Parts: sequence; structure tokens; C-alpha cells
Amino acid sequence: MYKLTIIAFIATAFSANAQGYQVNLQGQKQQGMGGAGAALPLDAAAVFFNPASISFLKNSSINLGFTPTFANTLYTDKASNETGRTNSPMGTPFSAYGVYRKSEESMFYFGLGVYTPFGSTVQYEDEWIGRFALTRLQLKNIFIQPTMSFKMSDKVSIGAGFVYSTGSVNLQKDIPVQFSDGTYGSAELSGKAQGFGYNVGFYMNATEKISVGITYRSQVNMAVKDGKAEFTVPQSLASNFPNGSFTSSLPLPQVLTIAGGYKVNNQLALALDVNYVSWSAYDTLSFDYEQNTASLVDTRSAREYKNTFSFRLGGEYKITEQLQARLGFAYCLTPVQDGYVTPETPDANRINYTLGLGYLFGEHFGVDASLLFTHLERTDRNLETNLEGTYKTNVLAPGISVYYQF
Amino acid sequence: MRKGIKFSLIIVGACAMFACKPKVEDMESSAGDINTSKFVVIGGSDMAGMMDDGLYYDGQINSVAAILSTQFELVGASPIQQAMMPSSSVGYTIFGNAPLELGYKTDCLNVTGLSPVRSAQTGDGASFSMNTYSASAPITNFGIPLLSVAQLTTIGLGNPANGPGNYNPFFARMASNQATASVKSDILATQPTCFALSLGMDEVMLYAAGGAKNGGLISTAAFDLGLNDLVGSLTNLGAKGAIATIPDVTEFPYFTTIPYNGLNLDEENAATLNSIYNPIGIYFHVGANAFMIEDPTAGSFGVRQMVPGEKILLSVPLDSVKCNKMGSVFPFRDEFVLELSEITEIQNQIAGYNDVIRATAVNNSLALVDAHTFYQTLNEGIVYNGVSMNATFVSGGAYSLDGRTLNPRGNALLANQFIAAFNAKYNATIWQANATKYRGIKFP
Repeated sequence: MYKLTIIAFIATAFSANAQGYQVNLQGQKQQGMGGAGAALPLDAAAVFFNPASISFLKNSSINLGFTPTFANTLYTDKASNETGRTNSPMGTPFSAYGVYRKSEESMFYFGLGVYTPFGSTVQYEDEWIGRFALTRLQLKNIFIQPTMSFKMSDKVSIGAGFVYSTGSVNLQKDIPVQFSDGTYGSAELSGKAQGFGYNVGFYMNATEKISVGITYRSQVNMAVKDGKAEFTVPQSLASNFPNGSFTSSLPLPQVLTIAGGYKVNNQLALALDVNYVSWSAYDTLSFDYEQNTASLVDTRSAREYKNTFSFRLGGEYKITEQLQARLGFAYCLTPVQDGYVTPETPDANRINYTLGLGYLFGEHFGVDASLLFTHLERTDRNLETNLEGTYKTNVLAPGISVYYQF
Repeated sequence: MRKGIKFSLIIVGACAMFACKPKVEDMESSAGDINTSKFVVIGGSDMAGMMDDGLYYDGQINSVAAILSTQFELVGASPIQQAMMPSSSVGYTIFGNAPLELGYKTDCLNVTGLSPVRSAQTGDGASFSMNTYSASAPITNFGIPLLSVAQLTTIGLGNPANGPGNYNPFFARMASNQATASVKSDILATQPTCFALSLGMDEVMLYAAGGAKNGGLISTAAFDLGLNDLVGSLTNLGAKGAIATIPDVTEFPYFTTIPYNGLNLDEENAATLNSIYNPIGIYFHVGANAFMIEDPTAGSFGVRQMVPGEKILLSVPLDSVKCNKMGSVFPFRDEFVLELSEITEIQNQIAGYNDVIRATAVNNSLALVDAHTFYQTLNEGIVYNGVSMNATFVSGGAYSLDGRTLNPRGNALLANQFIAAFNAKYNATIWQANATKYRGIKFP
């Protein structure tokens, strides 16, 4: 009977950022600079960007940020010219960081980061032509990363963080079986996922002006152990689509970053980050159902992602001691190869444009804001579903954070 | 500064609400070299919207002709005029029944399961026998089930007065004058500027679905003559069109659902059959066995076991197979079986007709729709926008419950083949139908 081919639940955060997991909505200052900053100890978000560089922060601090994300995708079917839009709710990535040092002479620095490298919902309009591939995907994900950094000299530091990841997934699609009134059946797969990983970094002030950062974020396997599969199908097919449990997993790939910082003068600092993301870990998406039937077979869908680079360039200009302006852009290569573009990841090579502003009120309290815009366009025929058309996506992500340093 | 912030907030707010939605680019559709002012469809069951073994409103509005017309209307065509059954009617099969729907049926073994069942006690013969022709809106869908190419010029083909078997009841429903009109004369009277034509499948199916027992197939020469007479007349009017090849109907679910070796025997039944048939050299064993059929050429008793490649038709009474030893003690009669020689005969004739159709397309500069390959691909299994379809009965998703005709979704796929052929031949950009909007089989 009907072979239920469940499609990937990866990475709608894509719609917000470069290739998913190495999202750079983890710090407003860095966001304003194209997502670069592994070689600039800007603020407590360094817990994420480079655990080593927190040793070179001038203060202990607490930093809370939020980036409402608006992503809109338009799909145009090649053969019929029919269009389908997303009407996804606002994405809500947030981050919270704390960094503590005992004194200026401390050798050890401690940090804690809680952030959301995934976390958005993509929802297509009702009855769109790709409804049997995907109607809705909600992904929630929180990384909790306690971190320690060791200042080896006044030039060099190393740092490491342990990552505990917890999240949930909810995937919905229509099934091409019809009730007597003509409406289609549907499937909903939901579950909680957990994973572990780590984040290590190296930081060096090479010269007065030049700094270098190298970080490695490990792969995190998000495993869904006891997911819930629910099917809405005509009564006569209920035994073909038994509700039950399923297992699956999703790799969040390892990321190697090599970064440089350059202090042009007292006002202007530049940052360049190169990320190498090992997306090839995501070669297959499998769903194993507890109870199989002729209609409900375990699926193994080829994803065939490839390893990619992102290049991030940004600058910060101190207009006054209190006020900073930031500008940046990022060129991110897509890991999704031709033939594997799916409605949940209508990904493409892209350029992110970002800008930001920061203001420090007095000594302790400051605010940073950023704005990211990107446009993606990808035409493809998916080898599994034969969906053939063009996805166009606009993303706008304005963010704000507040910090307190002491 | 403050102004700047305010300004960006407005931009962000506006963008968040609507400005950031990617714009739809207006892709121009176009009829290319085709004049769509009078679009006419000519064919058989597929064009008529026959499905689930009958003619009924919901099938007709989802006919290949209707779906094609919907897409042609985007490039200037008028809505198609079909010989509609009333929307309130249950519909009608030529044997007086109501069409099939999926329901529950209890078989002779008292097992209840999903099965095609009649949607009503009897068919709506009164509506079926009504002539729907209207001079103010003449028929433009000449999808006429059971039509043979040899009958295109037959005057009075739609005349019930000729008596049962001597007229086509489907043409009777649409003929401008039942006594004097021929299919060809009614088609030409509409003065087509473009046409979609799919002829031949119905007559091949009629023969094959009867187990290749009754009548025969017209010669390739007769097919050539009939087809070219009509196509020549259409192109003389300056009409442009697309013409479709004939699929291998023996690969439709009607012929492939019951396996030739579906006779599953336990020890006792095998012993019984062995006691009957061992004397003439036929042996049975526990497990899957080939069914028994009548074959006058087989030995002195005229019975034999089926061989791989032979087909059992869906018309076979399954209760008799399950409970009354049909196909074993009582071999299947000829009308329920396609033997290898019959399959070869049918396939060869289809190949001959298709040669004629291809030559006709070339000689008249028509678009060729390779329906033969389309059905072959569909039967082997396709994925359309995430929907898997194949020739499996009911669950295959593209055929209707009679196993001989497509359901609306399958019709949309076939209509898209016509559109692709029109586009390629006539520099046109006619959008294909979104087949996910056309239903498959409804389940209770």
C-alpha cells in the first residue's frame, strides 16, 4: 500500500541563517558583523564563538539577547506555475551568557551559555503542491554550554565547553489517501531529542593589532528515541497506518573555524572568520517505526549533504566611547546538492548582509542591536519526491540584547 | 539618531508584515502557434471521464478532456462542453449498474474487507439515455467510450432505433441528430481550431477485457483509413492538434491484479486436485500453483494450467474462485483469461496502430503524445510531487476502481502529457495541471 516517505526534519533555522547549526544569531555584536568574531573577544557571547577568548574579556558580564526572525518562502512549481507560500510564525532564537573572572590577574575564566542554534517553524500554506513532502516542521533546540578558559599568558588562552543539547521536533505532512469527502490524510511525527558535544577554542594576540582564533565545535547527534507517530487516515486504512513510536536521529555537524582580528586603530576593528562545516555527516535521514505495515515501512531518505565553507567579514567602529556601529556580510555555501533540495531546507548559496549598533550607558549597562537580511533562490528537482520548482526566500532578523558588566 | 532608530523600526515592522514576502514573478503563459478559439477533444473513455466502471458526473468533470480544457482556458479557450450526467445522478454502466465505489464486502468465506462495490442498487438509465445536445452550446468533448476508429463516419451511430448492439449509447447522448449525424460530421460542425485526439485504446480494451473472445480488432489498414480520414479533415480546416499513442492495456490493473499462480493449496486440496488431474499429467503441490483454464488446443480434455505471463481478468467471480473451485476443479473459461497468444495478438495490433498514429502525427505536423510510454512508466511506478503511484489495484493511486481507466489524478497526469506535447510542438507555454488537486480513490 502507500509507501510513506517521510522527509527530513532538519534545519529550518536555515531559513534564518547560514547552513543551520552554525547559526550566527548567538550574539548581537557578532551578528552585526556578519557573524564573525571568533578572534575578537567582544563580549560574553564569546562562550559560543570562541571559548578561549573569554580570557581576554575585560569584565565579568551577563548578556541576554533575542532575535525575532521573519522568513518567507515562495515556491513556484515549474510545470503548473502554481505557487505555495510559507506562513511560518516568527522565529525566536535567544541567547543568554554569563562570564565570570575573579580578578584581572585570574588565570581561569568561567562561562555559561544557553542558546538556540535551531529553533523555528516552517509552515506552508494549506493544500500547497508539495503537501505530501511537508506541511509543517517545528524544531526547538537549546544548547547549554558550561565553559572554562585558561589564560596561558597575556597573549594566549585556551578554552573548552561541554554541550548538552535538548530539543523537540514536530513534523507534519499530508498522506495521499483520501477520505470519502476528498480530504487527504496526514501524518504527524513528534518527539524529544537529546545530544551531547563540546566546543573548544584557542586564542592568541599575535601582535598588538592582530589576533587569531581557532575553534572546533563537535558534532552533536540529536537522537529521537521514543517519538510519537500519529496518522489521520480513513477508518478503513487505520490498520495500515498504526499510531505508534519511532526512532530517528539528526546530526548537527562539526564546525572548524579559523578567524582573524585586526585592530586598525582605536576606533576600528575588523574580523574575518572562515567556517568549515562537516555537513557530510548528514547523508541519510532514517525513520524506524516500531510497527511496520505494508503501507508504513521504515524509510531511509538520501540527503547527501556536502561539507561547506562560510566566509564572514565584519567591522566595528567606535563612534564615541559609548556608541559603536557595525557592518558585515557573510558568504555561505550551501551543503544541499542539486537533487536534494527539500521544502524544509530550500537552501542556496547566499550572502547575508548585517549591520548593528551598540550603546553603553555609563560603566555597566549596555544595549546592542543588529539586523540581518538575506535572500535565497534555488531551483531544483528533488530526486525523491520529484518536486520541481523554484524556492525564493527572504529572511529578516532584527535582534537586540542587553548586558551588564562588572 | 533617534529618527534613524524610528525609521529602521518602521522598515523592520513593515517588512515583517508583508514587504519581505518574495514576489511572484508573472510568468506569461501562451498558446504559441495554436489558435485556441475552438478547442475540441476526440477520444474514448479517457476523454469522456469514464471511471469506476461507469459514466457519472464526478468522473466527467475530471475527464482528461475537462482537465485539458481547464488549462487551455488559461490561454484563451472556451470551457469545454460535455454530455454531462446530472450531478445528482448515481451514474450508469452499460450493463445497467451503478458505478463502483470503495466499500466493505463480505465474501463467501464470511471475511469482510475493502472492496469495490456498486454505489447504488441500479444505475440511472433514464439520465444516461437522455440526449444532451444543445445547438447553442454544441458538444466539444467527443470522448466516446467504446468508439472504434472504423465507426467515425458511420451515420446514425448514435441512433437507439438501430437496436441494442447496433449503436453507441454514449454517442447517442451527444449526437446533434441521432439518426443522421456521424461522429466525424459532428466534430467538423464545430469547426475546430485545435484538437486533442486519443483513439484506439477503447476498442483494444473492449476486446482484451472480454478475454479476447468476442469480435476482433480492426486491421491496421482500416485503422489507418479511419484515423487519417478524420485527421485529414481537421488539418484541412487549419486545425492544429496532438494525437496520442495507445498503451499496452494488458498491463493495466484489470489484467495484472490476480496472479496466474494464485491457487494456494493445502495438503487436502492438493490431493483432491491431483486425484482429478494426475491422469492427464497435471500435478499440484502444497503452496502456490498455476490456475487451471480451458484451452481447446490443450490435449484431449482441452484444459491446462496457466503459464507465466498469462492474465486472469478482474471480471472473474472471486467468490466462485474462493468457494466453488473455479480455476481449479472447474477451469477458468476463455472470457476470464488472456492466453499468451492472445496477449501477443493484442500487443502486435497496438504496435501496428501506434505506427499509424506516429506516421499520422508526422505527416500532419501534429504533436505526438507518447501515451504508450506514459502508461508504461506509470505502471512501473512514478513519484509525482511526493505521491507514489503505480499499477497496483486500488492502492496504486492512479487507476479507478474498474482497473481499466484512470481516476481523476491519473487523468490529470495524462492531460499533462498532452500539454507537454502541445508546448513542445507549438512553441506554447500552457501550464500543466496540478495533479495533487485531483482526487485519487476515496476510502471509507
